[in-house]
Amino acid sequence: MTTTLAGGRAARRQTMRRIRPRRSPAVPLLLAVWAGAVAVLWLWWHNTPSIADDTGRILNAGRITGLLAGYLMALVVLQMARVPALERRVGSDRVARWHAMSGRYTLSLIVAHVFLTMWGYARQAGKSLGDIVQQTIDSVEQLPDMGKAAIGTGLFVVIGLSSIGGIRRRLPYDAWYHVHLLTYAAVFLTFWHQITTGNDFAVEPAAKTFWYGLYGAVTALVVWYRVLTPIRLNVRHRMRVEAVVEETPGIVSVLIGGRKLHRMGAEAGQFFRWRFLAPGMRFSSHPYSLSAAPRPGMLRITVKAIGDHSTRLRELTPGTRVWAEGPYGALTAQRRSRGKVLLVAGGVGITPMRALFETLPGAAGDITLLYRANTTQDLALWDELSAIAEERGARLMYAVNSPEGERPDISAENLQRKVPDIDRHDVFMCGPPGFAQSVYEALRGAGVPARRIHHESFEM
Amino acid sequence: MRKSHPVRRVVLATAATVSGVVLLLSLKPASDPAAASAAGAAPPVSAAGQESPQGGARAGSGTVTGDAEQTQYGAVQVRLTVSAGKITKAEAVQAPKGGLSDQKTQLAVPRLNQAAVAAQSARIDTVSGATYTSDGYKKSLQSALDKMKPAASGSAGSASGSSGSASGPAGSAQARTVTGQAAQTQYGPVQVRITVSAGKITKAEAVQAPKGGLSDQKTQLAIPKLNQAAVAAGSADIDAVSGATYTSTGYRQSLQSALDQAGG
Repeated sequence: MTTTLAGGRAARRQTMRRIRPRRSPAVPLLLAVWAGAVAVLWLWWHNTPSIADDTGRILNAGRITGLLAGYLMALVVLQMARVPALERRVGSDRVARWHAMSGRYTLSLIVAHVFLTMWGYARQAGKSLGDIVQQTIDSVEQLPDMGKAAIGTGLFVVIGLSSIGGIRRRLPYDAWYHVHLLTYAAVFLTFWHQITTGNDFAVEPAAKTFWYGLYGAVTALVVWYRVLTPIRLNVRHRMRVEAVVEETPGIVSVLIGGRKLHRMGAEAGQFFRWRFLAPGMRFSSHPYSLSAAPRPGMLRITVKAIGDHSTRLRELTPGTRVWAEGPYGALTAQRRSRGKVLLVAGGVGITPMRALFETLPGAAGDITLLYRANTTQDLALWDELSAIAEERGARLMYAVNSPEGERPDISAENLQRKVPDIDRHDVFMCGPPGFAQSVYEALRGAGVPARRIHHESFEM
Repeated sequence: MRKSHPVRRVVLATAATVSGVVLLLSLKPASDPAAASAAGAAPPVSAAGQESPQGGARAGSGTVTGDAEQTQYGAVQVRLTVSAGKITKAEAVQAPKGGLSDQKTQLAVPRLNQAAVAAQSARIDTVSGATYTSDGYKKSLQSALDKMKPAASGSAGSASGSSGSASGPAGSAQARTVTGQAAQTQYGPVQVRITVSAGKITKAEAVQAPKGGLSDQKTQLAIPKLNQAAVAAGSADIDAVSGATYTSTGYRQSLQSALDQAGG
């Protein structure tokens, strides 16, 4: 008994030595963002000794909103620059949500800035709010770089409209994506009027330098991580489709071969954005998780046919060139802080869980996988999972609807009954948003602290 | 996976932003308190606004105006103020206007003016980003310098004469006021009146300043600061107020002319 205990402890220590939890840099990054916002407001404060009247207040509100919009615009672009610290440490899903949130906020600031500034100018010229349109036309015609800024603002409005939930769902993904790429043009076009007409930049050379630095740095990061890094990756690894395998009805695995694929730095739980250079597919890239730990000559993704793109995957022929960008995603072993891990997969969310199930370090009994699907036929990769479970001494459970179509009850009580020490686990979770939400609540009810529930959700 | 409340988030973000902006705006005083206290009980600008400018006499200096030089963006014309054969002031009476030109003019002309006074010749550096304006300026400056030679002796004479008259109650410590020439700026004239006591500026005020529209704001912003700076510096060597370059330049010109008259 003692020996077993000692052996158990030694094994546990062995495992823990390989667990190096890394904190997400989200908090320091957010602090830096706020500090920058304070600096921008200070710039305004410093350059504005007094405000005489309501016209002055309106114009200064226009300046504040303009300065903040100019600052945030750079950050909104930065969030999509695929910077590894953001994609792999904070998590692509979280950064994408930040991007959507700050994008909406920035667009609101831009609209407020235009309205307030033009209203202020109209008042200054002794005109009423009704003359704001004429005032805007005059300003665009007369002030430097305002023509460009007007076009850029128009683009921002179009981009914003195309991203409104209802409209975006009706647009094909590619159309939405390519409209969204116009953001770069819009940022470029609106940049110049900030420098040439912005009071704070005209009078404060340091502020101008800071602004050039901010936008220059973001541009450099975008060029480096969105253009040069993918080119280098694909030139080095030269990926091609090796085979397409149907796992279950509607779920296919694509095997991708290439050179030195283990050198890509991909970890279990991460994903790449894949672009298959086949007719009709080459113009869009889609994020799919690796469904197995990367091997030297082989990567595998497993995809459920839900959209145009994923449906076409089954028609891929071996030899098709693949253009991949990545690896991205923070749902990896680095999130883990405990010896015991519960993996929860909903439907095709099994893909990253399958890779983690195989690779997470742990002694027998440390790793548990709970797999939820509609029917037993929908349990893709089940045979592999059983083999892994057998080999590692890991636990594998599934939950499917009853023959009458009744949904299984994943509640706090049931989770506690199945995994008695659940509150001492790290939980990794991947699945459709509704599923993830209800499991999250059940887990919290079962006593798992929020900081140990790791999930990735791409719904915004 | 905390529950997201989109509507609540939008309401919160809007409320926070609006109240933040309103708070910032309301924390700003209606007029610059530091400048107001430093300038002492300076009478409001409008009270002395109708005082007649003493521009006619050109006391203490002669002026030479160069030819207007056409550039791609408009004419440039330089006027020099000469005292004892030296350029004491250079200014552009014409410079490109409208759109981007306003800005380039604003950027380049003060520097060119300064360079002309420093170099005492037309061999001055081009201001980068304002090449055309600089070239036109240099040509007009050269033509003014060419005209200066015949004009110099006369103006130098008048300079000494008038400086004598200006310091009429010589040596007295009594405070007196001197009003500078009105300096034209793009937005209207600026005219400075200083109170001098024992050879020191004890008070500076603007009897004329640009009015209307944006100018009101800039005047309100700049003049108290400039008044304060003039008293502190005791000379026309004061910094331009950021955001009110034209007014500042005009102010300095008028202040210089007041100082010339005061014999300081």
